[in-house]
Amino acid sequence: MTDRRSPLDGVHRRSGAKMASFGGWEMPLEYAGTIAEHLACRQRAAMFDVSHLGTVRVEGRDAYERLQATLTNDLGKIGPGRAQYTHLLDHDGSVLDDIIVWWHRDGQQDGSNEGRTNEQTFDVMPNASNTAGVLDALGGRDITHERAVIAVQGPAARELVATVVPGADEIRRFHVGRVEWRGSELTVAGTGYTGEDGVELAVPVGQAEQLWGALADAGVAPAGLGARDTLRLEAALPLHGHELGSGITPLQAGLSWVVAFDKPTFRGRDALLAERERGVHRHLVGIATVGRRPPRAGCEVLVGGQRVGEITSGNYSPVLEHGIALAFVTPEIVAPSAVDVVVRGSVLSGNVVEIPFVSR
Amino acid sequence: MNVPAELRYTSEHEWVGRDGDDVVRVGITDYAQDALGDVVYVQVPDVGASVEAGQNFGEVESTKSVSEIYAPVAGTVVAVNEALTDSPALLNDDPYGEGWICSIRMSDPGAFETLLDAAAYHALIEG
Repeated sequence: MTDRRSPLDGVHRRSGAKMASFGGWEMPLEYAGTIAEHLACRQRAAMFDVSHLGTVRVEGRDAYERLQATLTNDLGKIGPGRAQYTHLLDHDGSVLDDIIVWWHRDGQQDGSNEGRTNEQTFDVMPNASNTAGVLDALGGRDITHERAVIAVQGPAARELVATVVPGADEIRRFHVGRVEWRGSELTVAGTGYTGEDGVELAVPVGQAEQLWGALADAGVAPAGLGARDTLRLEAALPLHGHELGSGITPLQAGLSWVVAFDKPTFRGRDALLAERERGVHRHLVGIATVGRRPPRAGCEVLVGGQRVGEITSGNYSPVLEHGIALAFVTPEIVAPSAVDVVVRGSVLSGNVVEIPFVSR
Repeated sequence: MNVPAELRYTSEHEWVGRDGDDVVRVGITDYAQDALGDVVYVQVPDVGASVEAGQNFGEVESTKSVSEIYAPVAGTVVAVNEALTDSPALLNDDPYGEGWICSIRMSDPGAFETLLDAAAYHALIEG
């Protein structure tokens, strides 16, 4: 099967981006180089094409109840015009997908307790680009082909976005709004995956290149999925297939805040309640290693020569200039403590540290 | 891709340059550094190590992958590029110059002539 291409594919290729296959899509891996893009995002502003993540629109009178009865987090904590991070679990408690829900404000309002009996519109964005799994669990329709999504992230992101899309900068963190731009409507959300402030812009496909170009002209550095991965690792944000996936529950991944146990039902609730009762057999920690050599996924973690766990993601941190990793280890291993990491036969000294590794 | 005519090459994307009658200098090619992306760590061999042709004797790591380095000729490692410890990006910026990896005193000086010439290496990476 050939990979799908983003609405921004043309501009990536014309710009000389290095392309790579990612979750069934051919996407830019890097533009100027992963480290330069990473530092641009930390110091000023970078933009990422995240059109491949997919959008499932769920709307109608029962939309709220469908999401509420299936996903782990509690929509009752937010309301229209807000975004929420949540999980779709399997019945055994495994994380099938981690998801951002954008709750649009354009549902009918009657001033009563938000949305429970009214028409509501949700855009459900699965991070593992598993739109089929989300459609299966929630219904709705796949609108991925109708829009591109550009994430603009970094300390100057809002200031630079404001020069291109006035008003988009006013959408606060974990808020969602619609902004007019050159005759069409953009959805803007104060969300991202880098540990920086910024916004994500959903733009109709016909205007995607125009918006990307205008942001580039405004000084936002185009960046690829290579930098997106090193940025999310510094921010200790989980990646499905690494820190989340089959056999991994949100409790093991340190994401119990995503799970609203006080809701009467969501998929996987019984399995999670049982795990909470008996305690997790492993948990996710951050490890900082000495020197530039990157620890990698699959490397063993040792204490006193005994195996205590395994790394799920690891790399060189461009900001800290040493190796960093996320690892599942036995529950007694907590920060601060010394560990060894085995990288293809060599031992790297490391320390379990508080995460995120880098914070704003 | 830059493939200097005066150098020899291996199918593992290393370049080999004469540094004296029986000493060669070794690095990775422009093609290799471009494929790797930003290099963040280089494991250089030990000075004094004796190596066989084709032996794995180091590693180059980028933000996205690991690549092993193989000795292009048999001999003894007589020098390594210490600057790579703190500045591994030299491999990206100047792969045929400041980004050299090590020098080897060849046990058979004739081995140099058996390596790929620039035209053959060019054909390999274009093929």
